[in-house]
Amino acid sequence: MEFKGNSVEDSRHGYFMKQALLMGEKAIQSGETPVGCVLVHNDQIVGFGMNDTNRSMNGTRHAEFIAIAEMLQTYPRSALQSTDLYVTVEPCVMCASALKQYRIRSVYFGCANDRFGGTGGVLSLHSDSSIDPSYPVYGGLFEKEAIMLLRRFYIQENEKAPNPRPKKNRELNTTFDNDNEEAPQTWARLNLPLILANH
Amino acid sequence: MDVEKTIRDLNPLVGQVVPIRTVQETRPAEEFADAFVAEVNVKSASKVIKALDAAFPKDPSLPLSHLRRFAKREILPPPLRAAIESQSVPLAGPAQTIFVLISPPLPDVATLKALLAPFAPDPPPAATNDPPTTNETPDETSQSYPPTPTIRLHHTKIPICPPFNATQAETWTKTLWPVVFNPAAPRSTVAPPPQTLKRAQESIEPRAGYYLSLARKVADEAEQSGLGRGVGAVIVDPAIEEEITTAEYEAGYNTTAEWDQAVLAVAGDARYSRSEAGAPSQAQLHAGVAPNPASKTYNADVEGGPELHALMRAVELIARWRREHDRLDGVSASTATADPSKPELKQPELSALESYFLYRHRPDTSTNTSNPLQSPSSPLKRKHEDPNPESDLTLDPSTDPSQAQLPHPPLPAPPPSTVVLADSSAPVTTPAAPRIRTRSQGGYLCTDLDVYLSHEPCLCCSMGVLLSRFRSVIFPRRGRLESGGLSSEPVVGPVADELDQAAEPGASAVDGQDERGYYGLHWRKELNWRALGFEFVENGDAKVKSEAGMPVFHA
Repeated sequence: MEFKGNSVEDSRHGYFMKQALLMGEKAIQSGETPVGCVLVHNDQIVGFGMNDTNRSMNGTRHAEFIAIAEMLQTYPRSALQSTDLYVTVEPCVMCASALKQYRIRSVYFGCANDRFGGTGGVLSLHSDSSIDPSYPVYGGLFEKEAIMLLRRFYIQENEKAPNPRPKKNRELNTTFDNDNEEAPQTWARLNLPLILANH
Repeated sequence: MDVEKTIRDLNPLVGQVVPIRTVQETRPAEEFADAFVAEVNVKSASKVIKALDAAFPKDPSLPLSHLRRFAKREILPPPLRAAIESQSVPLAGPAQTIFVLISPPLPDVATLKALLAPFAPDPPPAATNDPPTTNETPDETSQSYPPTPTIRLHHTKIPICPPFNATQAETWTKTLWPVVFNPAAPRSTVAPPPQTLKRAQESIEPRAGYYLSLARKVADEAEQSGLGRGVGAVIVDPAIEEEITTAEYEAGYNTTAEWDQAVLAVAGDARYSRSEAGAPSQAQLHAGVAPNPASKTYNADVEGGPELHALMRAVELIARWRREHDRLDGVSASTATADPSKPELKQPELSALESYFLYRHRPDTSTNTSNPLQSPSSPLKRKHEDPNPESDLTLDPSTDPSQAQLPHPPLPAPPPSTVVLADSSAPVTTPAAPRIRTRSQGGYLCTDLDVYLSHEPCLCCSMGVLLSRFRSVIFPRRGRLESGGLSSEPVVGPVADELDQAAEPGASAVDGQDERGYYGLHWRKELNWRALGFEFVENGDAKVKSEAGMPVFHA
């Protein structure tokens, strides 16, 4: 789908995606992988979500689940059938399946996710046949902004990475200092709590 | 519910553990694909690669590193070389040009020709050993004719998968396109390394039937509570299992009674427990009725959501335990602080089994005073245990507000196990260490843990397994579901006799029972994270043909 920003409909999509980007902005400020989303029902935002994996220590707490939980405080689950999701990054395989089980009406995303994407990136669960109906997916809305959020996160992450983990790892570090093969692994382990890659 | 009696009475399933094959093993991608071959100037080779890679992104799910990117004329497969030379005689000596492979996804021909035009072979310089059939002149220093670069594209077939052996590589090299054989590559691109798989299978096998029988008990409990469907999950730490086994060897007694010690958390399905928009939940609507009437059919509107499935709840229990622990010992307080704008996943009250396993080794904070840290080392003391100086044992519960949020008061610890013999004065109610590693001990998601499920998890939960970094996931074949995300093929297997195996695919195709997708999500080369997947085939399961007859829902 092309978003040219020159029609009422496009500016409406643009408005909601900007709200999702703001959630991504909020995520980056809390040290979470910057993915944000909003759920839109009857032109109203009924749920906001951002990644919550680091704080919750639960790798499945993606933005979509947070937004759905908020929505269900005021709406029954059946309302999702007339609700659209705007999310900055293509839903991962887990979320793509969850959205299908929840019978979301449609999904608009910013940038694709070729590592975990469940709506075209790696798998296409939105359109695969299953016991739940398919949903349409439209990608590329404010794609650059979504990517920039991610880049900012990964740059910033390098700077503040290796403090909280204790001695064990420092030993590891010196032990494998000159070992080219081990070095990246050590680095990755040190960074684990921050790189819960998401989405 | 008498939890300890339930555990004592567990009746392990009898059968065998079978690795779930990967989708690449069960359904090798279409073997061959079309590709182009173009002759280019040998001096431009690296530029050609750069230009091609920049213009035509590769398909990451289709690694073609087994194919040579270039081939000199003399190593072209004879059929291809003949086809090429039938269209055009060699323009230049063999040293001057080289053939490049353009592999799928194939670009548009005109675009490709335009892209490669700058790298077309030089018009004839010194064609010493070629019979001058065209207007070539043997002039080394100047060209008689202005360069008229043309790119000719030739078609060939290429093998999409790496060769499985040297013979296959040679055959392909002689007939299709030069192929490199890497003995390590064929399996590593499509399946877990055999050694890793074997080691995990051996570690899982002895106790899988036991943990799966516990998963079924958890499932029963969930169903009988009316809070969910009959699905259960059991998270086990293989490192503790290993210690139990080691103790068994050393002491020479049977440790079956200890196996439950390796269980970190259990959780049942709770899809009917959630109240939406302030309305009563399905469980409240049908209070006292079990199983919940909503479970008789699949009506999406009353299915709760995947975050209430057994796997997701079990993962969340581990996370919740860590959050509570971090708050207690003040480690990483800044990241663990609850943010009211991000409500925790709303969970129903823990069931008896859930509470027992999650908190059984939680030190009883109401009695902790002096020496709990000196209590005798449990035989289960972790190798990697890294005693935390800021342990929650030293914290005064009266000053900690989070204590009030504990959904259940800590339960009394289980009776002393037969192997805790050491010091009779030691408080047996205060085990040496919590079994879930805290974040400060390096505990991270569900890394290195195994999860046993009563049913095949749905696609959402299957990906949840990967995102939680489990080592392995195990479910009984009888728990296969049409909506499952792990199976990679219809039921065939070592327990089925050969007749069955032969009949199976045909039969299922005919009766149309196997229209489900087989995702094999546990191990997909396309995904960043992978887990080992196992099915438990109970004795007598040879007759279980497929998911036919299973209720339709997401587990």
